[in-house]
Amino acid sequence: MIIYIYGIIDSNTSIDEPIRGLEGERIYNISLLDIGIVASNFKGITKDITKAHVLVHEDVLEKLMKKFTVLPFRFRTLFNKEEDVLSLIRGSYIDVRGNLNRLHNKAEFGIKVIWSGDKIKEQIESDFFKRECNMHGESDLPEKRFIERKFEKYKIDKEYGEKAEICIAIVDNFFNRFAAEKKIEKLKSKDLLLNAFYLVENGKQGDFKKAFEHLKIAPVDFKYLFSGPWPPYNFVNIKI
Amino acid sequence: MPKKIRMFDEKTDYSDIQREKRITLVEILDRALNKGIVISGDLVISVADIDLIYLGVKVLLSSVETMETMRELPAETLP
Amino acid sequence: MMDRIIETDTPDAFIEEIEKIQDAYSGKVNINPENIENGLAKLILTIVELIRKLMERQAMRRIENGSLSEEEIERIGETLMKLENKILELKEMFGLKDAELNINLGPLGDLL
Repeated sequence: MIIYIYGIIDSNTSIDEPIRGLEGERIYNISLLDIGIVASNFKGITKDITKAHVLVHEDVLEKLMKKFTVLPFRFRTLFNKEEDVLSLIRGSYIDVRGNLNRLHNKAEFGIKVIWSGDKIKEQIESDFFKRECNMHGESDLPEKRFIERKFEKYKIDKEYGEKAEICIAIVDNFFNRFAAEKKIEKLKSKDLLLNAFYLVENGKQGDFKKAFEHLKIAPVDFKYLFSGPWPPYNFVNIKI
Repeated sequence: MPKKIRMFDEKTDYSDIQREKRITLVEILDRALNKGIVISGDLVISVADIDLIYLGVKVLLSSVETMETMRELPAETLP
Repeated sequence: MMDRIIETDTPDAFIEEIEKIQDAYSGKVNINPENIENGLAKLILTIVELIRKLMERQAMRRIENGSLSEEEIERIGETLMKLENKILELKEMFGLKDAELNINLGPLGDLL
């Protein structure tokens, strides 16, 4: 019987609430010492994986989150039998237990910020050329012109990067003090200035949300996205 | 050669409500498909990505059936 | 605990950006018997491009802190210029004209 895995929880007792997972199968808890691996039987009837399946996976995790500490699995982990799951997780029990302790009572939140990368760069460029113009005449040597242009680009890119760092730090400052941990992805794309994940204790989540309200009204031309609470996808740290 | 399974999208129309659902979907997919605990190895039947070569590090898939998912976000068509 | 919410005034903008970065997870170097020559060329040129970028960055830093003479700057300019042109030439030769040289290292992101 093939088993589909959703996550690991900090409980080894059976789950009373009738939660349905993939293919409408009831989820159950596989006990291991003082933890549990949440699974459902997978008949493999569906040949086509649709986004709906991923939503079900997520839905199960969010229901579990209300009662337990959950270490979410990536979508699509299957095992041939229960023994296989147990032997694998047993081998990493200490790691798993450590994660459960660390993530207890906390949830993940996401903050994304979009800025106008092009506009900012143009501004820096025009300021740069205003400053630097007439410092040197145009060289007649192609190598010299080549390197001069490279250097200009280098200086502009550097300033652009520094500006990004400053803006990211300002945004982060709104949320930092409410987070136990954070992971920040900077400038993953030209306009996505910030893609940040924050691990926030239950008691501080209200303040965290309020901080977002304050950020939204800041007098800058940025776009903001708030999401959460999520299972701690970005904060599980387990090598299996 | 492992089978490829494509992810299909349900029919959608593009009202404001759908756009909200769409950002929710994108956020969920981003997490559930890419993050969380990842296990690979002999005991796992992993519905994994297309066989990737990361400079010599090969993602091993072993199982009765290896399936692959290819995430396809729906093509935008205006109503 | 609150119910999960996603709040933004501009969902479309974020959908666009998230889709852009998700492409990074699906990138790959695809080497099979049919395209092995191209695949290898691409791999090698990507490494050469990496070296070129590192050289360029080193040069910029040294110009910035003034540790190069005028003559040295000219010489580096010539070297980098020739290297850049050579790489372009080789790209064309292998039909990688518009192709971006890069290798996706999975969870580590792109090499370049």
